[in-house]
This record gives sequence, structure tokens and C-alpha cells, in this order.
Amino acid sequence: MPDVCFGFEVHQPFRLNRFFTPDPKKKKKDLPELYFDEMNREVLERVSEKCYVPATEIILSKLDEGFRCSFSFSGTLIEQLEKWQPDVLSLFDQVARHRNSELLGQTYYHSIAGCFGDKSEFINQAGMHTDLMYDLFKIRPTVFENTEFTFNNQIATHVKDMGYTGIFTEGVDRVLGWRSPHHIYTCHDMPVLLRDIQLSDDIAFRFANRGWDKYPLMADTYADWLAGTSGDVINIFLDYETFGEHFWKETGIFNFLSHLPAELEKRGVRTTVPTEALQDHAPVGTIDVCDTISWADIEKDASAWMGNDRQHAAYSAVQKAAAFARDKTLWRYLQTSDHFYYMASKYGTCGEVHNYFSHHDADDAFRTYMAVLADFEKRNIRVMKNRRSARTLRTLTCEEAFHFASDHGYVGYAAYSLDQFCDLLRVVPADSIAYHQQRGDIAHWIEEMLDDKKLAMDIRNCTDRQELIGMVNERRELLWSHLT
Amino acid sequence: MESFNVAFFCWESMYAERVGGLASAATNLAETLAKNHEVHYFTRGWMPDQEINGVRYHYCRPQGGNTVQYCDDMSNQMVEQFHQYDRKGKFDILHFHDWHPIQALHQLQDRDTILTFHSTEYGRNGNQHGDWWEFRDISGKEWYGGLIAKRVTAVSSVMKNEVMQLYNVPDWKCDVVPNGIVPQQYRAHLDAGDVKRAYGIHPYAPLILFIGRLVYQKGPDLFIEAIRKVCQHRWDAKVIVAGDGGMRQFLQERARDLPVNFIGYIPDSEYIRLLNACDLVVIPSRNEPFGLVLLEAWSAEKPVVACDVGGLSENIDTFVNGIKVQPECESIAWGISTMIDDPCNAEILGRRGRSKVDRVFLWDPIAGRMADTYSRVSG
Repeated sequence: MPDVCFGFEVHQPFRLNRFFTPDPKKKKKDLPELYFDEMNREVLERVSEKCYVPATEIILSKLDEGFRCSFSFSGTLIEQLEKWQPDVLSLFDQVARHRNSELLGQTYYHSIAGCFGDKSEFINQAGMHTDLMYDLFKIRPTVFENTEFTFNNQIATHVKDMGYTGIFTEGVDRVLGWRSPHHIYTCHDMPVLLRDIQLSDDIAFRFANRGWDKYPLMADTYADWLAGTSGDVINIFLDYETFGEHFWKETGIFNFLSHLPAELEKRGVRTTVPTEALQDHAPVGTIDVCDTISWADIEKDASAWMGNDRQHAAYSAVQKAAAFARDKTLWRYLQTSDHFYYMASKYGTCGEVHNYFSHHDADDAFRTYMAVLADFEKRNIRVMKNRRSARTLRTLTCEEAFHFASDHGYVGYAAYSLDQFCDLLRVVPADSIAYHQQRGDIAHWIEEMLDDKKLAMDIRNCTDRQELIGMVNERRELLWSHLT
Repeated sequence: MESFNVAFFCWESMYAERVGGLASAATNLAETLAKNHEVHYFTRGWMPDQEINGVRYHYCRPQGGNTVQYCDDMSNQMVEQFHQYDRKGKFDILHFHDWHPIQALHQLQDRDTILTFHSTEYGRNGNQHGDWWEFRDISGKEWYGGLIAKRVTAVSSVMKNEVMQLYNVPDWKCDVVPNGIVPQQYRAHLDAGDVKRAYGIHPYAPLILFIGRLVYQKGPDLFIEAIRKVCQHRWDAKVIVAGDGGMRQFLQERARDLPVNFIGYIPDSEYIRLLNACDLVVIPSRNEPFGLVLLEAWSAEKPVVACDVGGLSENIDTFVNGIKVQPECESIAWGISTMIDDPCNAEILGRRGRSKVDRVFLWDPIAGRMADTYSRVSG
């Protein structure tokens, strides 16, 4: 009979201010208030009351009785708790220090930095998280859980280099093939624990679904399923908010939670923590993950955060902002995965999930994000050495972006920076470029929005697309060389 | 991976003389190959030689009284230029595209050569043999090219079969390497309602798009008759026919009582707008060696109803990423109705189409397949 390893991800983002408008009068210390939404506090209070307090009380009592599980707290959640709900933090403190629980490592800002080309930011944030866990709970996590289970070969290698003994990710079929997720595998010599999608989603998604033929799910049934499974270790990993927030207490989720440990014990199923699971069981094989996987949606890839054009624009903008970030903290808040999740434009079942988790619609999320990022960069430029180059390379808001059009109207491509403009020149229809060149729009935009008179002059009379690409590209490379 | 020195011979390219789809197919392939190989591209053009995105272009300026003479002159000039750059037999692979540079292939036949068929003269002539001298000359060149080239590639299995049957190219010698696409060029982010309104169409009315030359091969007549049937139960369906051709007069006459707007030839930007605003793309072709429109529609995440012919038949998986129908109006009408009556499902099919593009039809994997063919020739 396999062991069962429960894990809970506990995270709250600093959601961006839906009503953000730039306010040059605001001082640096007021920026968090300007950038982040008031509702963050309301949400935290609501979730604490409905989920964190009742669920943690149950789990604490079960931990005393010998139930074992692991927790992964994000740094942004801890900050919010310290600020607004210190009592809940002390509950979590008891959980974290309990002999039957284990703390997992993750990125402090629950960020997408693991997918960046330059992994130094990822390593920094993982280090910040370890320090935080040590400061608060006197524990240094040894097993890692990357943001939303995003994982690939490079992440495995880097997490191994940071000294972790194991990492969690999703048991995705296309990676495993015919193999079972109920064993330990290695990826580039890094031991990997794989989440059981089916059994995890039975709780996380289907628990209160009246259309499901197993509804209502009872603790004894579920324990039967776990006991009847073969393998070494079953990893059940859930959003902590599943208990009480995604499923309200009226659905019976708390009863389920409080009866499950006893039912498991009755059947002789041992609960365990990741570190011990890794000690008890040897890896049975290797996995190779070239394309990033995650636990999101049905695609189980990075498309929930980097699926559409706007997400790509925002994602590359925040990576580029590294060069501008004199104030690294605010920049890191902007890397939190949730901001990108809100911009997703998927429909169907996954679309519903995205909407459920979002406080504004996808268009609005993107507009707000770019506005905040643009304001952030503008403020940092003031204290930069190469202000002129930085101004030309900065990220623009939706209003400042270059929208490609033809005499019929908008063609559907918008450039939010000089870099993106250069990339789009290869993509947009030739007649749209010709249209703008004829009217002098491009030179005008470069001069007015990007403050680059020289480039504006150079390209003003250029009619050949390749030549135009060449000139813009050369210029941006020169300007970037000033910044780095 | 092995790295080759490749010489392309093609009568058109994206940055100089540009005639049809061959230019973008060959240029994109060359640019993608140039990431791992050295690529020189011999083509026509009036500018000095240049290097763009890693590909070295060498231009020639041919002359001739007719197409065949013109192409022979072009081939001779290409070979001359080729020898200038071919010091110590530098080039490993000589890659020829379509019949135009066959004369060059003839002169360089001792080298490792590849001939790619993007189409055949028989197919361009509407799947019929012709009895005029150009037809016979060009077909003859195609046959000769297939005979002397060390290896042949075709853009689809249908094309491969056509080449094998017409020109007796043996099966072992012929590989299928499809065309690729740059999906970003076709996916734009705009408000479909705005675009529809510009054409006087209500934002919620289903917009059906036909794009292509209005010629018999593309089946616009089947499409119009199918629309007549669709309109019997969907009064709100609207149709835009983009493209021009010999059948336009006739079609407009037929469609006088139907909600069909013939907008004629449109610039690329307008095509992008319509493609991203429409709810369904219909490809009613009677013959289609590859069917690039399919990849364009998929890139824009649009569902497709297409006839079960040629490259379309090969690439569409019915009810997974599109609907395949018979080239007759009842069948096409059924396909269109099925799509527009269930817009949610149609949307899903469109998105699956895009993921097929991202999986199969990006230039990088396709250039990889071409490089495999290269190694078969040189090995």
C-alpha cells in the first residue's frame, strides 16, 4: 500500500489596483498603496475567516493525532498576514513548527521567474523565501514547489544546484507516458515528486459537483480509493483555499477533511511528508521535460500565464524591466503569477476557473498591468544613469502603445515598447507599415512617445521594410548596450 | 546536427521579385535553415547582392522572349554566379524549387541535388493536360528534373502521388515536407464587432469568410449554392467573399438574392482584419495541393469547413480541428450549418487548429525535416 503525501499551497497575491491612474505627486513610500488594490485586505480577511482559520484548526488537531502533511506559504501571503491578520500567522506558525508537518520552498513572490531566460532572479527569490521561512519558523525547506508547479529541465537543474533534495510537479501524462505518478522519478538527477491529477482534482474540482457520478464524496470512499491504489507514494497537492473558500463549509468540505485522517488510518494508509517519502523510496526512472509543464487548466503547460499575445507582451516587458528596476521589491511584486493568470483569454471550463480567480476581466487586467509597469519604470528612470536610452526603451501603457492600422482601421497589433515594435515590423502586413510611413506616424510616435529624435529622423523617409527593421534594430541594440 | 552549405535556386524571393506563395515558402525555409546551416539563395532581382536574416541573396537579371527562354536564361546566369561562390566545391546541397531553374539543375546534376515540387504544371492547369507547347515544355522539364535530381520533395502526400504518377518518380526518392507558417502574422487581437460593423454586419451575426481566387478550382460556385441552403434556416448568416477572378461576374449574378458581399481583391491588412473577425472560414476547393489558407485560418484560431481533397484532406482531423466535407453544395451547406449552429464547439475546433499549427507547421520543425532529407542525399 502506498504512502500518501498531502501538500497545501497557501498563497495570496497583491492584486493590482483596478482604478490605477498615474499620480506623479505620490512619493515612493506611497507606491504600494497606489499600485495595489484595497480589496487585497478584504480578500485576505474573507479567506482567513472562511478557510485559513477553520481549516488550520482542524489540521492542527489532526497533526497532533499523527496526521502528516506539508505546506507551502508564499512570501506575499506572509506579508499580508503580518499586516492584516497576525492571529492567522500565529496559527500557521504552530503548523509550521509541528513535528508532523513540513515546509516547502518556493519563490518568495510566487513568481514566474522560473521561466525567465536569466535564472538569477529565480534563484534570488528562492533564497529570499528560505530566509523568510528561517526568520519566522526557524526552518529551512529542503523540498521545493515552484509556482503553480511550473517545471522543466532547467528549473530542475537550478533547484538542484540550490541544494534542495526534491521538487514537486504535476504528473502529466505526456511526460510519464504509460508510467504511474505514484513513484519517485528523477529529472537531471533531481528527485521529483509527481502530483496525482485525478485524485487531487477529485477534491479540488469535483468535490461539490452535483453532476459528478461520485457525488457526494465521502472521506471513507476517498480513503478506499487511496488504499486501493498501488505504488510507493501518492501526492495529493491542493490549493489551501479549496477548504472553505472554493468550496464553502456548507458543501461538507470540513467534515471531509476532519474525517479523512481517521479513515486513512483505519485502512492502514500511512501519511507522510515529502522529505521522508524521498528517503523511503528510491527513484524508479527518469523523466525529461523540455517544454514547461504546470498544474494549470487542462493543457498542463505554461499557457495559463503565457498563452496569448498580451500575456507574452506583459511577460517580456516584466523581464526587460529588470534593467530599470532600481527598486527591486516593487518589480518583484509585478512578477507574481496571478497578474498573468488574470490576462488569460481561455474559454470553456478553464475560462470559468480563470474568471473565478480574477477580480477584473482579461482586457482590464492587461491594461492595468501595463499601466502600473510603465509607471514603475518611469519612476525608476529618474534615478538611472542613462536616462535618455532608458526612456526610449521603456514599457508603454495601452494609450501610448503603437497600434498598427490601415485606412480601414485597427489591424490588431500593438507595440508596447521599441523592442516589441521591432519584432512586430516582421509580422504586420506590409501595407499597414506603408500606410503609417506615408503619414509619418512611426517617426512621430518614436519622437513623441519614445523621445528619440535621432531614430525618428533616420526612419522618416524609409520605405523599405527590411531597411526599416534594420535601422530600428540597430538603434535598440545600441541603446540597450547603454543600459547593461 | 550536421551543418550544410546549402544553395537555393528559386525564381522568386520575398525581398526582390515576388510572384506568389512560392516566394514566402522558399524564403522562410531558407531563413530558418540559416540558423543552423549556411544558405545562399540564387534568385532574380534588380538590387545588389545582400544578406538578410542570415541568408545571402545573389541576384540575376534574366531576359527572354517567352517564359521558357526566360527561365533558361535565368538558370544559366544562376549557374555562373553559383560557380563564383562555389570555391573548392563548397556547397554540399543544391536545392531547386519548381521547374524554373531546371536548366541549372541539368548543368549541376553531378552534385547532391534536391528538387522541391510546390505544384505541377498539370495541377496549375486545373488537373488537366494541355496541348500547347509551353505546357508540354514545362511538364517535360518537371519530368526531367524529377529524373536527374538525387532526391525530390513534395509539399503534401497528394502532391507526392501526383509527381509519382505524372513523372514516374520512384517512391523511395520522394519525401513529403509540408509548408510552414508564421502564425503570428495571422493572429491579431481586435474587436470582431468593430470589423463586422464596418461591413454593415451585426456584431452577433455569424460571418462566413471565403478567401481565394474566384476560379473553378477553388469552388466558389459550390460555396454560393451551399450558402443558399444555409440561409434557409439561418437568416442572420452573413458572407464575405474576398478575392477576384474570372468567375466573379457569374457568381455575383447567382448570389443576387443572398447576403453575400463580394469585396474583390483586398490588401493583407484587410485580410488580417477579416480573418480575425469572422466566425468561420470555408475552403470549398475542388483541388488543393497544399492549402495555405487552412494554416492561416488555424493561426487565427478560426474553425474551418473544407473539402476533403488534397492537402486539406491530409491535414484536417474532422471534428477535432475542423470539418471535412465533399466538394458538393449539400455537403458544404451541412458543414457550415453544423459550425455556425454550435459556435462554442466551433471556437474549440479553431483553437485546436492553432495548436496543430504550433505543433506541426512552424518553420523550425519543418526545416528540421528538410535537413533530414539533406542528410539522406549527402549520406
